[in-house]
Amino acid sequence: MFKKFSLEEISSQNQVKASVQRRIRQSIQEEYPGLETVLEDLLPKKSPLIVVKCPNHLTLVVVNNVPLFFCIRDGPYMPTLRLLHQYPSIMKRFQVDRGAIKFVFSGANIMCPGLTSPGGVLDEEVEAERPVAIYAEGKQHALAIGFTKMSAKDIKSINKGIGVDNMHYLNDGLWKMERLD
Amino acid sequence: MAEKLEPAKVLYCGVCSLPAEYCEFGPDFGRCKPWLVENAPDLYPDLLKEANEKAADNVSDKLQYVGISSGGADGAPSSSQSGGTSKKEEVKRLPGGKLKKKDRQEVIIEKVVRNKRKSITIVKGLELFGIKLSDASKKLGKKFATGASVVKGPTEKEQIDVQGDIIYDIVEFITDTWPDVPERSIFFIEDGKKVQAG
Repeated sequence: MFKKFSLEEISSQNQVKASVQRRIRQSIQEEYPGLETVLEDLLPKKSPLIVVKCPNHLTLVVVNNVPLFFCIRDGPYMPTLRLLHQYPSIMKRFQVDRGAIKFVFSGANIMCPGLTSPGGVLDEEVEAERPVAIYAEGKQHALAIGFTKMSAKDIKSINKGIGVDNMHYLNDGLWKMERLD
Repeated sequence: MAEKLEPAKVLYCGVCSLPAEYCEFGPDFGRCKPWLVENAPDLYPDLLKEANEKAADNVSDKLQYVGISSGGADGAPSSSQSGGTSKKEEVKRLPGGKLKKKDRQEVIIEKVVRNKRKSITIVKGLELFGIKLSDASKKLGKKFATGASVVKGPTEKEQIDVQGDIIYDIVEFITDTWPDVPERSIFFIEDGKKVQAG
């Protein structure tokens, strides 16, 4: 998704009006109830909220020049990894085995066997088409943010092919864009 | 859920920007190593051992050089210290070099069409050459006999909007009025692509 991403990809950036801001805030709150207490700090009502549109129906939510959330088409808002590292408890977590790390770092989608092997951990409650945080065996922090292709139960029973789409991973274009100016 | 979530602190590598524990999968683990030894020694115990061995090698070299074992005791700490400082400098220089690249001085000229046959020329980046934007807009307006104003861009960056399509000779005007601006750092944006002027 963000394998190649730079300032030149931005097609428009707008300061959105209050009603749109409210809608964005609400959908983020619904998606991540754990964030409720800090949402005011993250998206202060006073400071302008900028929505950056990029090709491929990609939208970024930017506050104070820092990208905080992104979404594709009308999909759910997903936090950037820097944000997730600060508030790791807000997302459901999957864990891949150690062998998968280097593929994830080059942008590969998460395959089922990497999640079901001894090093992997699945959160059984996760449905299909939900955002999840991808952790790695033996590591403390998340290394990617994914969008499940099938439910956790299916991943376990089918155990073949792509389980989670890799949306955003460490050291991709969005990660490197720490600030937008 | 009443109490507030505290943002967790994550140790990011100063060289490759990844969380330190992922450096080994990063683009350039070799360059991160000195930084890791200094800042996150407990994450990579193997590395520390390696570094210590190296330091030990240095010390033994020194000892041989001096030839007196009692003098070596004084020499050892000083040698390890000097090694430490040189490492620090190396690490610091790298991010500095990156920063310089980001802040490249460029003038970017873009044409936006409105109402089919009317257009606006947007000039960005003049301020990077130490030019006062208000002066510049006045000069541009006078030269091309149109309205020119300083506008705040969406991310708090100021740019000059000039009414009308003046792309044909704005480059010449800029290089004439401000000799500090070299022609090769002026770029047009055509079809979303950066094209060098001239």
